[in-house]
Amino acid sequence: MTFGREWGARLAGHLVEAGVPEGEARRLAGDSVAEAREAGREPAELYGPAVAYARELARTLRAVAATAAPLARARGPVVLRLSRVTKRYRRRTVLGGVNLVLRAGEVAAVVGANGSGKSTLLNICAGVTRASGGLVERTARVGYAPQQQGVSPLLTPAEHFRLFGAVHGMGRRRSVAVGEQLAGQLGWRPRADVVAAHLSGGTRQKLNVVLSELNRPDLILLDEPYQGFDQTSYLDFWDQVFRWRDAGAGVLVVTHLLHDLERVDHVLELHRVDE
Amino acid sequence: MTLTIAAISLRETSRRRVALLFVFLLPLVFYLVRLDVHWQAIRFLAIGVGWAIATLSLFSHVGARRLGERLSVIGASPTSLFLGRQLALVGAGLALACAYFALVAATLDVPRLPAVALLLGTTVLVAAPLGALVSLVLPRELEGALALLSLMALQLLADPADAFAKALPMWSTRELAAYAIEPVGAGPLRQGLLHFAGTLVLCSLIAWGANRLRLRPVRLPEPAPEPATR
Repeated sequence: MTFGREWGARLAGHLVEAGVPEGEARRLAGDSVAEAREAGREPAELYGPAVAYARELARTLRAVAATAAPLARARGPVVLRLSRVTKRYRRRTVLGGVNLVLRAGEVAAVVGANGSGKSTLLNICAGVTRASGGLVERTARVGYAPQQQGVSPLLTPAEHFRLFGAVHGMGRRRSVAVGEQLAGQLGWRPRADVVAAHLSGGTRQKLNVVLSELNRPDLILLDEPYQGFDQTSYLDFWDQVFRWRDAGAGVLVVTHLLHDLERVDHVLELHRVDE
Repeated sequence: MTLTIAAISLRETSRRRVALLFVFLLPLVFYLVRLDVHWQAIRFLAIGVGWAIATLSLFSHVGARRLGERLSVIGASPTSLFLGRQLALVGAGLALACAYFALVAATLDVPRLPAVALLLGTTVLVAAPLGALVSLVLPRELEGALALLSLMALQLLADPADAFAKALPMWSTRELAAYAIEPVGAGPLRQGLLHFAGTLVLCSLIAWGANRLRLRPVRLPEPAPEPATR
């Protein structure tokens, strides 16, 4: 009667934590236990630890959802154009004549060694830093995830959603509902009573990413947003980037990892100008 | 949006429990130290409340700067961000002022008790923008806290009759404390309120302007449409 019951309950719980709706999580857990029973083996023996299997299962579900009804990918109008953009701090040149044209429905990766000006370029695109020369043209509806201090350590995820939602003119309930739905796509179910300071580094970065896409912007600017992500979250993140792209957003990602670069539309490599 | 920012800032501030304990204790220490001389105790209490709220304001504004930048990029008005945070700080400050007004009412026999409420309320209203102003001039917490310490020490030590003392932001506390305790006419009340109004307007305007300059994102033009190709 109690065959695999405890394992099944743990699996359902971990699936819910990974953003799977409760009903579906219970159904999947029930199916997994039933399959193990049919095979005449303990579920833990067949599938491994519930936590690891839940993570795999949740990721597969998200991948299936992403590819079940792929949107026709169309490159739209230009959302970001950089023409000979330069940046100097006193006598030191950080950026020397950067050019890029990014359209809606495209992903650009900015790569380069430490100190090559990647974050400076992203801040220029966001409008936080003024370029010393050249022209920056950018669409007004923008999402922005800075590398550090993009969230308040003393606020819960729901309070962040409300705050950012208020800027976009979204109501309180809608902001929280949209935020939680987007978090689910990154395999994260925010808890109501935990402030950002008590989240793990990777989960805090997921919050950072979710906040950048709360209003479905035309252009999303991300500065190494996957720091602290585990392997599954990292893959989920790139899946998410390509979902945004397929939904018609332009995405600019600062990265120092070279994985997945063959899938992006533009690679902008920066070098230290003084070298 | 301003009210949402105020509510969330208040929630954020309320989670700094140890800091809030010290915000509460600082004026109490000032008050108890000079309890033997009533007018001094009330004046010190007001300066303690002002110092505590100005420091809270300084740390609150410095801590929120990067988040404020991010919110400005996505379209938040720097004015709303500033006003929301100020509303939260003034709210917290007035709650503190109410608690200490109750303490004064319970422990001292003050001839003009409502003037003590006025004194504490005006101090809070000046302290919140003063802390914001310091946070914008000195954007690091340690430097800002030391600047406030110097300012408040000067405020306590300077001879109030000196013309120089009138340039200090909380000179009005002495006049209002004198009006509350001593058998004087409306002169100190008028002078205190005038000084308070001037300081409030000056600190608020400079802090608001500096905050706007700091947070306002660079205006970027929309991408020009590409020329049609044949």
